[in-house]
Amino acid sequence: MPHLEIHDLTVSYEKHQPTLERFNLDVEQGELLSLLGPSGCGKTTTLRSVAGFIQADAGRISINGRDYTNLPPNQRDIGLVFQSYALFPHLTVFNNVAFGLRMRRIPKGEIYSRVTNALKMVGLEDFADRRPAQLSGGQQQRVALARATVIEPQVLLLDEPLSNLDAKLRVDMRQEIRRLQQQLGITTLYVTHDQVEAMSISDRVVVMNQGAIEQIGTPERIFAAPETVFVADFMGFDNRFSAAVESVQGDKLSVNWGGAPIDVRWRAKVGSPRPGARAEVFFRADNANLRAGADASGLAGLVILHTFHGNEVRYLVDTQVGEISILQDSAGQRFESGAAVTVQPQTQKWIAIVEEREPLA
Amino acid sequence: MLVSPAFIFVLVFFVLPLIFLLSQSVLPEDGGFTLSGYVDFFQSRVSRIVYLRTLKLGLIVTGICLAMAYPAAFVLARMPARRRSFLMSLVILPLMTNAVARTFAWLIILGRRGMVNQTLLSLDLVENPVRFIFTETAIVLGLTQLFLPLMVLPLVSAMENIPDDVLEAARSLGANRLTTFLRIVVPLSSDGLVLGATLVFTGSVTAFVTPAILGGSRLLLMSTLLRQKAVILFDQHAAAVVAVVMILTTLAVNLLLRLGRVRQA
Amino acid sequence: MVSRWMYISLVILYCFLLGPFIIIFMASFGANATMAFPPQGFTLDWFANVFETSQFIDSFWVSLQLALQSTMVSLIMGMPVAYALTRFQFAASGLVETVFSAPILVPGLVIGFAMLNFFVLLGDMHVMTGLFIGHTAILFPYSVRVISASLRNLDPYVEDAAVSLGANRLRGFLLVVLPNMQAGIAAAFVLGFITSFNNVPVSLFLSGPGVTTLPVSMLSYLEYYFDPTIAAVSTLLVIFTVLLVQTAERLLGLSQFV
Repeated sequence: MPHLEIHDLTVSYEKHQPTLERFNLDVEQGELLSLLGPSGCGKTTTLRSVAGFIQADAGRISINGRDYTNLPPNQRDIGLVFQSYALFPHLTVFNNVAFGLRMRRIPKGEIYSRVTNALKMVGLEDFADRRPAQLSGGQQQRVALARATVIEPQVLLLDEPLSNLDAKLRVDMRQEIRRLQQQLGITTLYVTHDQVEAMSISDRVVVMNQGAIEQIGTPERIFAAPETVFVADFMGFDNRFSAAVESVQGDKLSVNWGGAPIDVRWRAKVGSPRPGARAEVFFRADNANLRAGADASGLAGLVILHTFHGNEVRYLVDTQVGEISILQDSAGQRFESGAAVTVQPQTQKWIAIVEEREPLA
Repeated sequence: MLVSPAFIFVLVFFVLPLIFLLSQSVLPEDGGFTLSGYVDFFQSRVSRIVYLRTLKLGLIVTGICLAMAYPAAFVLARMPARRRSFLMSLVILPLMTNAVARTFAWLIILGRRGMVNQTLLSLDLVENPVRFIFTETAIVLGLTQLFLPLMVLPLVSAMENIPDDVLEAARSLGANRLTTFLRIVVPLSSDGLVLGATLVFTGSVTAFVTPAILGGSRLLLMSTLLRQKAVILFDQHAAAVVAVVMILTTLAVNLLLRLGRVRQA
Repeated sequence: MVSRWMYISLVILYCFLLGPFIIIFMASFGANATMAFPPQGFTLDWFANVFETSQFIDSFWVSLQLALQSTMVSLIMGMPVAYALTRFQFAASGLVETVFSAPILVPGLVIGFAMLNFFVLLGDMHVMTGLFIGHTAILFPYSVRVISASLRNLDPYVEDAAVSLGANRLRGFLLVVLPNMQAGIAAAFVLGFITSFNNVPVSLFLSGPGVTTLPVSMLSYLEYYFDPTIAAVSTLLVIFTVLLVQTAERLLGLSQFV
């Protein structure tokens, strides 16, 4: 049985929040599941419903078999970490972390040892007497984590917890959250709009769009095999073109790319695509090669821009199918703007998505 | 350079008169330096009663304002901005109307043939009209109505600054509404509370119009006592003493509450 | 987070704040001269009485003139002080700030009493002059505070920007800072005007034979007569204030400065 079950959840109106309609999601015991999507996709609505701050119109939320749907937030056994951290400014770090335990009427001695332990886990044992205002952003984040986990909640909810930190700290905190989550074995729902963050931290990722799930799966699977155009766009496929399907053989279909046929793996919403259907083909910038001069091994083009990124150089190449972005090892051959090149596709990692319904024959 | 004209004005027309007032209170017209004015003030039964009554009513008014304003301010602070600004302008409105007009309403409500008495008589709860005017109750009601906005305004602006997230964090950690209010909202709005209490208390103990209309010469407060000594008894020395005691009282309250706030921070 | 009983407290608060105004309104139109409640009949006699009582008319003009003059002067003196306090840190700025905020800490009645005694000491002073000085002194801290608040909202670098573009300091102030102070100045003007216009404690001692402010003359009228004329004056004043405050609120967002 899943640890957290959301069944047919419907939220029709909430101030400035998108709606959900018959939303279903299961989270397994000890799993870290990310809700990934652009702002307004419903991920925060889902999280706030689980926390109890949004009252569902219909549906059911249960944790560990217990019905949570109509429970007020303070009676839910949930740890919540806010984007703003929401630390209590008038309380010391110790008292912030102790707050939930006091609400649960835990004996004094136990509060002391549990808070101390929780602060140790996030490396803040020396900061117990500080006020939130005296801490850095990263430290405040750790206090928020300690405060949410010290109560040993059934489920930990994190709402864009890293978006107020700078880039380097974000990477550190990401690892810290993952380490803590695995150490505690706590079932976790993690809301983010950053696909790299979701990839690196999660057991499974849910990509959401307009209040519905687009795709759910392991980070590896979602990264390599997006099932919808929305997911592919969101997962950072740099290049996209549409083409008519020419033929289908097994898990590959054939499309015309700049006059030459190429074979690409396909995904379709319904059934298998028929010839003539429109396919959206996606590939990442590192799934194509550049060669000097024009030859028959690929598509001819002209370099119009090159930018240096350390280990790699990104080229923008103008071709007859439009501008293509290509990433090349900076140690290899370099091309100047205006250089004539050939783009060689590495189609094994390309993907074609067919969303339109089959034409009625 | 920029501040000098204003500085001279305040010095000459504000600071000097106060120094002169201070000297009047220790230098009676017919003698040298003496503190006898203050000794007399605190030894006289009448003035002692007036002083304590003033402080007592000030405390009561502050307490009532606090009790009325606190939950209401929380509702106001959590409202959508548009509705809040409308309701806040209704709070400010009484502040912008003169005290005579506002106190006069209480004469109509509490008078011999006023609203309260008419109701009591018609319900046969009393046989003869009850005297409300010239009672402490009347003064307390009048002052509360007068100074309530001064409690609401700082409380609302303090509570506005408490983010929703912080309240939700407390709820998610297991606090119910009341606990959240007492342990999060109250401490986080203590600045507004201290400011509001200071304004209401000092306002109440120095107000003149309300005690003059609703207390008259029968129920004196410090302000009406000052007027009586100065204008009716022509005792400028004693009046100066009353005035200085009033200044010291308000200064002491301001300092005390400010100290309390600093220590808390 | 907001529960039902809190809404009830809001309703009680507003009844208490605004109820007296409704009662004054009703009383001012009642035909009953003894102020019994509820008022019987309908009449405009009390309003007519207001305009026939020279005491009210004369003191209205005194109050109006006094409020305008003292507000203007307190603003003119307050502007440079607010500017200096918000833009520069100087050795005596703490002292200056304390001195300028002192009139708020001293009870108005005491200010009026102290000034009266001091003016008597100085010799013959016109009653109007005394009132003017008293009102200017109590308005001054408010002017400084409100204008300072509006200056703090203004990025101090805009002035440097003006100077870097070739304006001298004075022109920078006049062309860039002053236009941005307008809302603050206007708000300070309205607040100052109302504060002065309603003041009783300071005016009480400083009023003299034949020269009285409107609130003080209302108070002394109450000592001799107890009829709805005061209710009528109050009604007129409330309407006057509501119009003034609502206009100011709409134009300037007054509540942010209170």
